[in-house]
Amino acid sequence: MDYMILSVILLAVGIYGLLTKRHLVKVLISIEIIAVAASMNFVLLASSLNRALGETFMVLAFSTDTCVTAIVLALLVIAAKKYGTCDIRKLTEIERSADEEQAKS
Amino acid sequence: MIVELLAVGLVVSACLAIYLDEAVYSIASLACMFVLMAVLYALSDAVFVAVFQLAVSAGTLAVLFLAGEMLSENPEKEKSLKKIFSAVLLAVVLSLPSIFLSVAVTPANISSGFSFAEALWDLRVIDVILQGLIMMTVALGIAIVLYERGEGES
Repeated sequence: MDYMILSVILLAVGIYGLLTKRHLVKVLISIEIIAVAASMNFVLLASSLNRALGETFMVLAFSTDTCVTAIVLALLVIAAKKYGTCDIRKLTEIERSADEEQAKS
Repeated sequence: MIVELLAVGLVVSACLAIYLDEAVYSIASLACMFVLMAVLYALSDAVFVAVFQLAVSAGTLAVLFLAGEMLSENPEKEKSLKKIFSAVLLAVVLSLPSIFLSVAVTPANISSGFSFAEALWDLRVIDVILQGLIMMTVALGIAIVLYERGEGES
């Protein structure tokens, strides 16, 4: 059983989701999976080498992950309320058309 | 054997979290992944990290459930059971390299000599306090942004 390969697989799944999914909640879930993959590598290597310091860093990293999630969720709610959609492509189109209208006027 | 099953479960739940269309189901899969991860940490003698993982993920998942329920749009076409089953099968195949292959890691021969509590409170105490402050600032900032947004709408 190799945790490094498991972590790489999870990272790949997360990156696949980040690149292919258009819904913002799905993008957030993909970011969570990537963060979990990175932290898993760190924790399991630290525990296999019997280093408490690695585990300590991870406790700090978990709180950073939570902050990132909170910020992204707040932005997501604001974007969904303002534009009425959570689709990244639609949001980009809306922004682009707004920019074009601004440039015309 | 348990660790191998956990690894398969981790990859399957991660794949389902990405693959399923309904936001609530994918968040439930993510919850399953977090729990499996915590069990994996506990089995690898990182009990403190496992407890932190469970505590942090409980909060994250509660907020994600609320946001997912609020923002989810009905999927145009629901995925059939056959497609979901084939995604699970693909995930199981994906998880196999982690069970049968291995990357050689040469462990360093230096013993750390720190316990978890010593490492956290003697070496990283400034980090812990700073992170607490940053988290409080972020929470306050989000509350202000949402409050001003609500004020602007009314």
